[in-house]
Amino acid sequence: METGPAIEIRGLTKTYGAIRALDSASLRVERGSIFGLVGPNGAGKTTLIKALCGVLRPDSGEALVLGADSRAGRHELRPRLGYMPQTPSLYEDLSPMENLHFFGGASGLEGLAGHVRESLEFVRLWDRRDDPIHTFSGGMRQRASLACALLGDPELLILDEPTAGVDPTLRQSFWDHFRFLCGQGRTIFLSTNQMEEAVRCDRVAVILRGRILVSDTPGAIEGRGRAVVTILLAGGASEQHETSDYERELPRLLKAHGLEQGVEGIRVERQGFEDVILSLIQEAE
Amino acid sequence: MTGHVLLIAGRINRQFLRDRRFLGLSLVVPVLLIVLLKYVIDSLPGLIRLGANISEYSVLLAAFLVHFLAYVLATIVLVRDRNTGTLERMFVSGYRRSEIVMGYVAGYSTIAVAQTAIVLILTRLLFHVRIERDLAAVVLTMLALAVVSVGLGVFVSNFARNEGQVFPFIPLVTIPSGLLSGVAIPVEDLPRVLQWISNIVPLTWAARVLKPVIVKKESFLGSLPDFLVLLGFGVLLLALASLTLRESE
Repeated sequence: METGPAIEIRGLTKTYGAIRALDSASLRVERGSIFGLVGPNGAGKTTLIKALCGVLRPDSGEALVLGADSRAGRHELRPRLGYMPQTPSLYEDLSPMENLHFFGGASGLEGLAGHVRESLEFVRLWDRRDDPIHTFSGGMRQRASLACALLGDPELLILDEPTAGVDPTLRQSFWDHFRFLCGQGRTIFLSTNQMEEAVRCDRVAVILRGRILVSDTPGAIEGRGRAVVTILLAGGASEQHETSDYERELPRLLKAHGLEQGVEGIRVERQGFEDVILSLIQEAE
Repeated sequence: MTGHVLLIAGRINRQFLRDRRFLGLSLVVPVLLIVLLKYVIDSLPGLIRLGANISEYSVLLAAFLVHFLAYVLATIVLVRDRNTGTLERMFVSGYRRSEIVMGYVAGYSTIAVAQTAIVLILTRLLFHVRIERDLAAVVLTMLALAVVSVGLGVFVSNFARNEGQVFPFIPLVTIPSGLLSGVAIPVEDLPRVLQWISNIVPLTWAARVLKPVIVKKESFLGSLPDFLVLLGFGVLLLALASLTLRESE
């Protein structure tokens, strides 16, 4: 059993002319966890994912995937990776069955037909297995693309916005499956724009202009949020205080204002996970 | 390696069969062009009095068509594969550069063989050119030319970011091929400088193999050195295509 992180990147930098797509990005993803990469469009999520898959040559820094350099060891790594690009990236005139056999055939997977069936059944496309992809809706294409990434039960799944265009019911079943895979020791690295998805991850990193602003658990990130404490006084008066740690601050606030007596109520409005992420992004911009 | 090459070739052929319009056009265009050539030649009897050799024209035109169509197709499809992300997915799935290039060659050779067969049958029927005796030589030359064309197409695809950018590269290869290879104008009638340049045009070597075999009914063995040069172009271009096929940004 291999130990060490599933992914470790250090000081990864990539520029396209004047644009810094990755700016000394560093991250660590533990095995058997779900890691979410969050950021606005153009923040560098896809660039980072391509670097992990070995299809992007960084200018500097290193990306270790399952213990191997993502570029130098890419040929050995590929059978252990499942990759779902942002766009479906399947042959439109072929069926999902043909696409999965074609892409799965490259890894020399034993019992490929069984794996193809299992993947297509999971994404609920088995009934449409012989229809050409160009007859599919956007969500169905995403499902076919995910089925392709799941082939062969890879150790590490790298998914670029896997649930974009997928309906809520199926999205829930995707997440149930991600959790199941995670329980089996698989690692999932995904990018998303959806905060309700990010909060489901074990750890989340926020990326902006190629820089990692924060990398922590969703709870710890939410804990960084500020709170507005409103102290409601007798006679309808009130006082408002903004604090980043209201649980510690509250007794001090009350004592400082001599308000041990006559307080009729305290209202605390905390920033939610999404607000904290937005604040982090706004502060960095 | 072989398994992966066959998987890619099989996938390309399945796509050909699935895309009826594309398949139809690929097979109908050579027919139309040969019929057009027949019409032009029949309308201009002076051509024959001037010594133009119809069998030479028709077979060389067939070679030009195979070269042109395989080159353009390979370039466009590779650029499309890159833009739609399927090329990237192939790499991440475990296909290697050399396997992809060889797979494309194998896949396109099928359609090149079909086009060659159509052109040769029409040449036999419309121009009464007897090619049965030399069939193996003609088909081998056409296949070698298809390999050269696909290698050239994959190499050129590295310089185009999208399908629109492929178009300037089409005349860049096809016009020198038509003018300098001996298909339209005998190489020996060209100025010395152009004769030298014609040596780097792969179609020139295909024409050098085909002309003596078809027109003078000479043995294929006599053209073997020229055939080997054509094969050399194929090996060189495939190696170049394998080395330059961009796997990463």
